[in-house]
Amino acid sequence: MSQSTRGQRRPIPSSAFAALLYGIMFAIYLLYSPSAISLAGITDLLNNTIVLAIAAAGLTLVILTAELDLSSVGVIAVTNVIVATVSTKVPGGAFITLILVCLIGLLVGLINGWLVAFLGLQSLAATLGTMIACQGVALLILEAPGGEVAAFIMNRLTDTVFGFMPVAGLILLLAVAGWLLFRRSRLGIAIYAVGTDALAARLSGLNVKATKWLAFGLAGMAYGLAGYMLGAQTGTGDPRISNSFLLYVFAAVAIGGTPLGGGRGGVIGSVVGAGILTVMQKLLFAVGVAEFYTNIFNGVIMIVAILFGNLSAILSLRQKATMSQHRGGQLVPN
Amino acid sequence: MNDILTRSLVSSRTFKPETLTALLVLLGAVLMMLAMKVLNPGFGSVQQIAAILTTSIFLVVAAYGQGLVILLGGIDLSIGVVMSIAGMMIAGLTNGSNEALTWALPVTLISCTAIGLLNGLGIAFLKIPPFIMTLANGTAFFGVALGVTAGSSQRTVAPALQVLMSAQIGGIPVPIGLIGCFLVAGSLLQSRTTEGRKLYAIGSSLAAARVVGLPIEALTIAAYGVSGLCAGIAGLLLAGYSSSATLDMGDPFLMPTIAAVVIGGACVTGGRGLYFGTFAGAIFLSALSTIITVLSLSQGWRNIIQGGIIIIALILQTKQWYLLSIVNRQLPGKQSLDGVLPQNSEV
Amino acid sequence: MDSSAPILQATNLHKRYGATTALDEVSFSLYPGEVCGLLGENGAGKSTLVKVLSGIVIPDAGEIILDRLPYHPRNILDAKAAGLSTAFQELSLIPTLSVAVNLFLPKPKVNALRLVSMRSLEEEASAILNQYGITGVSPSALIGDLPLAARQRIEIVRAMLQNPRVLLLDEPTAALSEREWLFGLVDGLIARGTSILYVTHRLDEVRRLCKRCIMLRNGKKVLEASTAGMTDDDVFSKMAGRSVVESYPVRESSINDSAPPVLEVRHISAARVNEISFAVRRGEVLGVVALEGQGQSALFKALVGLTPLKQGHLVVDGKRVVIRSPRAARVAGLVLVPEERKSEGIFNDLSTAANISIPIINQAASFDFIRGKRERRLVERGAALVDLHSRYLPPNIDALSGGNQQKAILARSLLTEPKCLLLFDPTRGVDVGTKYNIYRVIRTFVREGGAALFYSTELDELVHLCDRCIVIYRGTVVAEVSEKELSPHVLLSLAAGHASEATQSMITANSRNGTSR
Repeated sequence: MSQSTRGQRRPIPSSAFAALLYGIMFAIYLLYSPSAISLAGITDLLNNTIVLAIAAAGLTLVILTAELDLSSVGVIAVTNVIVATVSTKVPGGAFITLILVCLIGLLVGLINGWLVAFLGLQSLAATLGTMIACQGVALLILEAPGGEVAAFIMNRLTDTVFGFMPVAGLILLLAVAGWLLFRRSRLGIAIYAVGTDALAARLSGLNVKATKWLAFGLAGMAYGLAGYMLGAQTGTGDPRISNSFLLYVFAAVAIGGTPLGGGRGGVIGSVVGAGILTVMQKLLFAVGVAEFYTNIFNGVIMIVAILFGNLSAILSLRQKATMSQHRGGQLVPN
Repeated sequence: MNDILTRSLVSSRTFKPETLTALLVLLGAVLMMLAMKVLNPGFGSVQQIAAILTTSIFLVVAAYGQGLVILLGGIDLSIGVVMSIAGMMIAGLTNGSNEALTWALPVTLISCTAIGLLNGLGIAFLKIPPFIMTLANGTAFFGVALGVTAGSSQRTVAPALQVLMSAQIGGIPVPIGLIGCFLVAGSLLQSRTTEGRKLYAIGSSLAAARVVGLPIEALTIAAYGVSGLCAGIAGLLLAGYSSSATLDMGDPFLMPTIAAVVIGGACVTGGRGLYFGTFAGAIFLSALSTIITVLSLSQGWRNIIQGGIIIIALILQTKQWYLLSIVNRQLPGKQSLDGVLPQNSEV
Repeated sequence: MDSSAPILQATNLHKRYGATTALDEVSFSLYPGEVCGLLGENGAGKSTLVKVLSGIVIPDAGEIILDRLPYHPRNILDAKAAGLSTAFQELSLIPTLSVAVNLFLPKPKVNALRLVSMRSLEEEASAILNQYGITGVSPSALIGDLPLAARQRIEIVRAMLQNPRVLLLDEPTAALSEREWLFGLVDGLIARGTSILYVTHRLDEVRRLCKRCIMLRNGKKVLEASTAGMTDDDVFSKMAGRSVVESYPVRESSINDSAPPVLEVRHISAARVNEISFAVRRGEVLGVVALEGQGQSALFKALVGLTPLKQGHLVVDGKRVVIRSPRAARVAGLVLVPEERKSEGIFNDLSTAANISIPIINQAASFDFIRGKRERRLVERGAALVDLHSRYLPPNIDALSGGNQQKAILARSLLTEPKCLLLFDPTRGVDVGTKYNIYRVIRTFVREGGAALFYSTELDELVHLCDRCIVIYRGTVVAEVSEKELSPHVLLSLAAGHASEATQSMITANSRNGTSR
């Protein structure tokens, strides 16, 4: 059952389990909210999903290299407030803001990457620092939730295009297509190599530091885009950081089958994972679960997501990179 | 052999590089306050210094638990929530009088410890990464607290606690005396007990700790339990100081506990660091916070400075050994095989 | 082809790691079209030299000229560009990627879209695998799914791909069961003018392939000569610095058969362990010999409870014990000196003294508080057992040499008063003087009533240190070799699974041949 197009053979990808789970959740949701299957319903669902999906896609790149990145919510805050303050003030604001947020996200990501890959700082602590600093910058730009997002962004990006395709859906499709191509690029292959076994990657001639640096950079750009889409969804800017959202980003990656140890998984799974979490939230709302349970739910779901991610990894019969098999001296033991 | 002798001098108990770092941090705090005094002659009165030291107690206590957990190689992101819960609980249970204090106090502290133990259980047995477990747990219990208090946040606190925080003995505020005692007790517990030694070992090499047969799960759960307890104590003190409690009163303290530990020279991957360093970091941050308030900097600047300090402290830490080696004209002792920065940059 | 000028010339290469000098003013030359052997024991500096030449490690001092140009590689790519390729002992293949991708790392061919086409990559890989005589391996197979021997071949082939001027082969036959394949490739390469630096500890391979060889000991070059006319004894004494007989403590049997065996292993099975039974008697050093990956590491881990037993049980001192964790093992009297010193042995943030005292730190404490004097006395007692000077105790353990670190780990193990020591390749990466020390410690320990299970990759060690040897192959004990029959040749052939052949040679061989193979 080889899929030689990927250069990797595996019986069942763990993102398939995520897709299955999504199907089940969506079916249940449909029971409570029959309009979900309509174009409006799907558009609405995709609009709710897209911010989380893009953020999770970005985080996936970093996690694949076996590092962590807490700065997603910080970058989202900064870019979100920028969209809410700049997009209405500049002609062609939507487009210019888009470029701007991508650049800012890229910049923050490259700083993260520099701290972790070149200065050797531990990624959890370093990205925690940048997250806090980013939130500070966001507060400087916009002290409290407010601002105004350009009408073009708000209306067009949440709508459909060609009459049947939700813009959010189109963006996600583009992201998935982009990923499928990226996976085959030298950088994409390098990311997997570095996350699996950084030493072997180095001995193979790969530039481990540059790979991580770029992974962080691309992730940052994704976060910037997520902040932009958040502006499109909410129409305002919010400089505050949500711990729950940070949990969700990691949960999406975990459910999607990308283990935190790196080297395995992919963006597709994370996007599906984001979908699962969004449907679940909408389901709870549709069922009528009281709002105050939300926090408890957020906390519990994260833990369940990690456990589910571990489970699906085992089920998909992936072998863990057994480093001891090819290490050591002449008569190398197992 | 000369380098062995010099290195032994360097590594001996009285001249640990971490002690030097801690002293440097305290010096930094003093210098910072002096600079502030120059800019703003009204700054730096005895009362102000006393206030800085008094308000540092929350961080001094809460960062102890964070320090223990980081020593193991983990992290505790639930400290802010637990502090708030402790404050709300004691306020809600005592409701402005001292009567219920005798049982409200232990109940509160036990609850906080329980949250910590729950963190430890998830991390030790379910193998959930610490930052996720503690963040998730904290969020969940925040939800519980939100539900129980039905959102209403203002509460009044037992007078005894308020008195504790404002009393003076011989002209010295009680909290300042308390932080001194806490420093001694905390340092002894972390560095001179068998459990503390084992924490250092586990944080240094989990695999070796397994081979040697150290009680890894038990100590992990205990460390997170202590962290919960410390957060609880800090929350109580904070409630006493503020004379009231709100559901987000602990939030501003979470990041500073991490910053204090990192500034103090502890290694975030575990295995190294003295409580004295964390203590110094807490004092430093308390002074910094006061200066920021005096300068009327907005919350945004506060965050930027906080984030920046964490990063600068991390960078300086990697330089810690290099600085010392220059002083001793020796090759750095913590070089990785390629002579580049140690710890995280193995390739 | 101007064969009089060296293709590679290294002058005064020097590299220090803290207290250890890995390379001490090493100079040598490599000529075009020759295979030069690089010999030396573990810890002699071979792997550091390989890393320096490959661009992984920057030397503190020294010059290298490659192909008449100064050579200062800062990474693998620099080395390859200059014409030097390496097949590493610690395989540099990525287990989760396919054979094809690995072969062409770091820069697989990309199309106009800057993307890699897996199909064309695999076609090319297929051609290469055929060209180099590797059969039975699909280019789309994941490296992690392949057996070690196949991976070693791919590692070697990858290094040859870009027709390097200089090829470094670091222990290339470690995992290979059939070496002629490699020898054929080597012959072909030197016919084309490639120079090969062949790192090995196997003298028969040196004789077969190399006209010249260089030997390192303690970071210094101690020999650079032609291989013709060198006897094994010459080589060994240069490597060890003393003749064989002196290296090892005189072995008088201290085996006590009147007491029950210290450790009896009865039909245990675990991951990679299939029904193993043996016994270690009081006063005995029982050797374990196996090629790589035969389950010996799994066996040792199972014996101390790091991995669970699927079946069978252990009997210590005549009493059945259940061991579910290393802690329980320690209580039962079994202590493991682990395989990977750096990652499983030492606590590299703690001092040497703290490393030694950690398992029994409670003994130095009252009411949980550690008493400095008591700990010091404990540690000094342990250090004395292994002849570790007290000046090594206060510093951080990572300032110590590998040999001293190993002594500290031994001291720690001995302080727990074990009944049986389980030693997994304890002298790997340890200098010769310390090895001798460790042998003495082990023999003293068993003489005083203990027992030891000793796994080593050095056949000479096993022959000289052990009273008996068991041979493990594919997770089971396939043979037991008594004292009289012990010889490196016998052990090696048994380990490789040629049981009947070995029985033959056991009958015809004289008593222990010492160093000759």
